[in-house]
Amino acid sequence: MTQMVSLDKIMPQTTAGKTKIEVKGLNFYYGESKALKNISLALPERSVTAFIGPSGCGKSTLLRVFNRIYELYPKQRADGEVLLDGENILGRGQDLNLLRTRIGMVFQKPTPFPMSIHENIAFGVRLYEKLSKSEMDGRVEQALRRAALWEEVKDKLDASGLSLSGGQQQRLCIARTVAVKPEVILLDEPASALDPLSTAKIEELIDELKSDYTIVIVTHNMQQAARVSSNTAFMYLGELIEFDRTEKIFTAPAEKRTQDYITGRFG
Amino acid sequence: MSIAPSLHRSRKFRNALMMGLSMGAAGIGLAWLALILGALVWKGGTGLALSVFTEMTPPPGDSGGLLNAIAGSVVMTAIAVVVGTPVGILAGTYMAEYGRFSKLTVLVRFINDILLSAPSIVVGLFIYEIMVRTMGHFSALAGAFALAILVVPVVVRTTEDMLNLVPNALREAGTAIGAPRWIVIRSVAYRAARSGIVTGILLAIARISGETAPLLFTALNNQFWSSDLNAPMASLPVTIYQFALSPYEEWQQLAWTGALLITLAVLALSIFARSLTGRREDK
Repeated sequence: MTQMVSLDKIMPQTTAGKTKIEVKGLNFYYGESKALKNISLALPERSVTAFIGPSGCGKSTLLRVFNRIYELYPKQRADGEVLLDGENILGRGQDLNLLRTRIGMVFQKPTPFPMSIHENIAFGVRLYEKLSKSEMDGRVEQALRRAALWEEVKDKLDASGLSLSGGQQQRLCIARTVAVKPEVILLDEPASALDPLSTAKIEELIDELKSDYTIVIVTHNMQQAARVSSNTAFMYLGELIEFDRTEKIFTAPAEKRTQDYITGRFG
Repeated sequence: MSIAPSLHRSRKFRNALMMGLSMGAAGIGLAWLALILGALVWKGGTGLALSVFTEMTPPPGDSGGLLNAIAGSVVMTAIAVVVGTPVGILAGTYMAEYGRFSKLTVLVRFINDILLSAPSIVVGLFIYEIMVRTMGHFSALAGAFALAILVVPVVVRTTEDMLNLVPNALREAGTAIGAPRWIVIRSVAYRAARSGIVTGILLAIARISGETAPLLFTALNNQFWSSDLNAPMASLPVTIYQFALSPYEEWQQLAWTGALLITLAVLALSIFARSLTGRREDK
């Protein structure tokens, strides 16, 4: 490593468990402009990590590097390393579709596919697994239960996914992501378009899912970060300012800029 | 605040004047349309009988129907749609999906727009040169291909536009679940844009079903029933053109009736296309 970064910045010391994703010296570019500057951090397995920071600080950009979804757009590129279980996913030989089955993503606005509720979930499963009809039905039910949506939709699985309410649609998207059995779930402001009740449900869900998945959540809402995450990264202007246990970030941040942001002095 | 009465009055007057002018302009536009439709229904409607659909085009001075012309139009339109639609949809898909950021797309879109507004007689002459002259005779197939060339730009345009309306978030969601690009396009983007793409095809059919010029030098015309794609074939527009210019009263009557039939068919297609897009907006 050419640049020395203090160890506690890379990995919060007190968090037990092994590292799931490790970022080393990551830079990201939108065309000519640099959006992420030399980011290094390590996300522990089976826990929730939150990325906070003002708009445009690069937190969503960082999230979008983890499943390389940015590659849909030709002018965006990343350099550096992102290790998933020790393997660099930014490498050339990486099969992107397989990578994305291991790292699922839920977006800010609910994005149900224009098909039935059942099909929304079966779609992703069918891509990589051959299941009989009854196995598939079981899988769909399991995923919907996992996303706390089963009771609300079990009688109308053939209805269009678009007929659900916003909060239900978002839980459908979480169910769809969980159904393909990923190892990591990326949540890009998953509750910012939802009402408080739906938001509470999503947060409950995150709490339940963290025992099985490594979860990374980008959020504008600092209370939300404090409620759901074990570790929090504060980003500002494309740089990682501070990364530590959530309670430390919110009670005794080491950096003045973190302090200023969480107390609402800017951003 | 006090209101100056003279200002207020003059503004009201100007408002009334402009309103009157624009209503007058709209009225004039609609009046011509109403006159044309009225004349069609008046003159064409009187000749509307079962025999129009059961009998062949008659020799001069005799009575008959339009069966061979109607059948010819249906056959050539169908072939044109079958040939032109896949080309148009695939090209539109390239432009909106794979080549969204490529320079080729800009070029293709430019050329397609030219083709979209090209006079259809030029297309007829083009097919005459490459098909009729090389084959040595007029044929239904040449007519169908001329129509197919008119279908392509309409379908390209609507397919590209409709796919561009599909939110990127939906493509990202499909990609994020691990679906390869072609599956995202087939199962997500096409589904989301389906009614719009179908509307484009219907509009293309509506456009070509009234075209005369591309058929004049390609399919020519045929007085009799023909199911041979390699021979000249009758069509409604060309029959109308020929009969309307003739001195025979029976022919003129059939031309009016044919014109009414085409108008009704295009109207029905447009209403159907409208209802499809309308349903999509309801969601």
